[in-house]
Amino acid sequence: MMFKTLAICISLLCLTNIGQAADHLLYFEAQGIAGYSSELKKPIYYSMNPDAEMQKPSLGFDYLKRFSGESGDVATFALQGRLALTFNGENGPNDVTLEPQIYNAYLKVKTPGPYMWIGHNRPAFGLSSYFDSHGLLLRTLAIQGFGYDRDWGVGAYKDFSWGDISASVTTGSGMPVYAKGNYMTAARASYGVLSQDNVNLGFSLGYGNTLDTMGYKLRDGDPRLMKLAGVDLTILRNRFEHRFDFLAGRWLGEETYALFYRLGVNLDSEGRLKVEGQPTYWKTGGVENYQMSFCFSVLATSNLTVRLGYTFDHITNDNRVLLQLYYYRPI
Amino acid sequence: MKTRSWLLGNFFKKIIAFSTKASILTLLLVLTGYTAAWSAVGCDLNDPDRDVARLFPESTGYKTIYVAVDRKGGEPLLAKIETRLGDKFRGLYETIDVPYTIYEIFSNKKKVGYIHGVNQKGQFGGIQVFLVLDLEGRVKGFYIQKMTSQYAGKLRDAKFGRQFIGLTLKDFELHYDVISGKASGKVEAIKNPAPEAEADFRAALRATKKNLILMDEFGYLFQAVSSPGGPQKP
Repeated sequence: MMFKTLAICISLLCLTNIGQAADHLLYFEAQGIAGYSSELKKPIYYSMNPDAEMQKPSLGFDYLKRFSGESGDVATFALQGRLALTFNGENGPNDVTLEPQIYNAYLKVKTPGPYMWIGHNRPAFGLSSYFDSHGLLLRTLAIQGFGYDRDWGVGAYKDFSWGDISASVTTGSGMPVYAKGNYMTAARASYGVLSQDNVNLGFSLGYGNTLDTMGYKLRDGDPRLMKLAGVDLTILRNRFEHRFDFLAGRWLGEETYALFYRLGVNLDSEGRLKVEGQPTYWKTGGVENYQMSFCFSVLATSNLTVRLGYTFDHITNDNRVLLQLYYYRPI
Repeated sequence: MKTRSWLLGNFFKKIIAFSTKASILTLLLVLTGYTAAWSAVGCDLNDPDRDVARLFPESTGYKTIYVAVDRKGGEPLLAKIETRLGDKFRGLYETIDVPYTIYEIFSNKKKVGYIHGVNQKGQFGGIQVFLVLDLEGRVKGFYIQKMTSQYAGKLRDAKFGRQFIGLTLKDFELHYDVISGKASGKVEAIKNPAPEAEADFRAALRATKKNLILMDEFGYLFQAVSSPGGPQKP
């Protein structure tokens, strides 16, 4: 059913055409990914895990439409979907399946106060609440599994001259929707407007009973306590980008600490070449782990980005090398 | 025998399922294959509500529209824009299908001006230069959004931006050479507040000229000086 819905959406959106001046944007997205895992001792075709939503070979679209009245914009609708190929070879030969994914799917409405949104969007917690990493190889804490990069629900945010405040109430399930008594509330306040001040410091709080999901897979049907506090920081200066995210509290019922730091260096004046390094550490349920990741990105054209990534995982002793081709263009 | 039939049935079901999926993927490729080969992402205000109210205090609302050179006039239009700019469009930020975001500014239901931003290659990656324009194409405000240089504060300072107020496309088209950086007239009077950031200063001037020419060629500066047969009232 979901596959058919997504297919119809994609087909209809592909038939739309931007006129001379338009109130919408439609992008085509495609990516190919292949790598090698020393733990599995074989090639892999995903960046993190076969069950995780990202990154996998996929075709998709990204659609944004503005709704306007006589005196200006009143709402924005966003829809982003993919058909992803999942190569699951964790326990033997590759089992190949085609998975439809809905990523952004929200309606954002202007009100006299804050913006309000409803649908599948970013929960108001941590760096992932504003940093879009859906196409990237390096993982934020939310992508790593400490939270959800996107979740179903409602939210609000308001920008000020000194920063912004956001809040969300979501299902606490991530990509799928379940009603098993699960929910997640989150709020974040930040200081600094990144695009003007080149710095943003955020403080987040989250509370709820959330589900252990990975991509569309439900790993545990019982909601678990979430009670987290977090701090995130982004600093941009000259050719350097620093991103830091830390959270502590209880996640999926377990005492949890997680932090990461990402250093990005733009090697040229147009931003075509970039190297990034990222150590990540976490302790949850008494188990410690750390990862070390690097990524080299080349914008081969304005549409095509080539990324070469490496990740070492301490617990699994896995050395993973990945090559990603990411293509994104308006249609 | 039953097992064989079941296996065959299952096999054909898989074939049909695969064909359906493959057809959809093929459809996607066909439908998207005819479009231009180059593209990029446009230049939006980070928070339009806050920024429009700040940049255009008398506004009560805004409407967002997207315009791209390839849809508006294609290669001939691009050539015309390049001629007027005095330089070629090149690199990631100047492809023919960049969707430019134009904010039409309203005071109640009356249109009172525009805000338009462009991406421009700077010293440390892209910079984003927005112009606030009245309906006659006069600069009412100048705003650098993205700029990661350590001297960004000086170029973002209101004092620097005030030097652009009142200027028009004519001032830049006739008096600023984007290749040599040579200026005359009112543009010459614009002083760089951060000599260490000369590359970004020149990028900001090039972006301003590009911004005004694009607005003119897109038909939004109907009172501005332009090439024959150029602008029309939108």
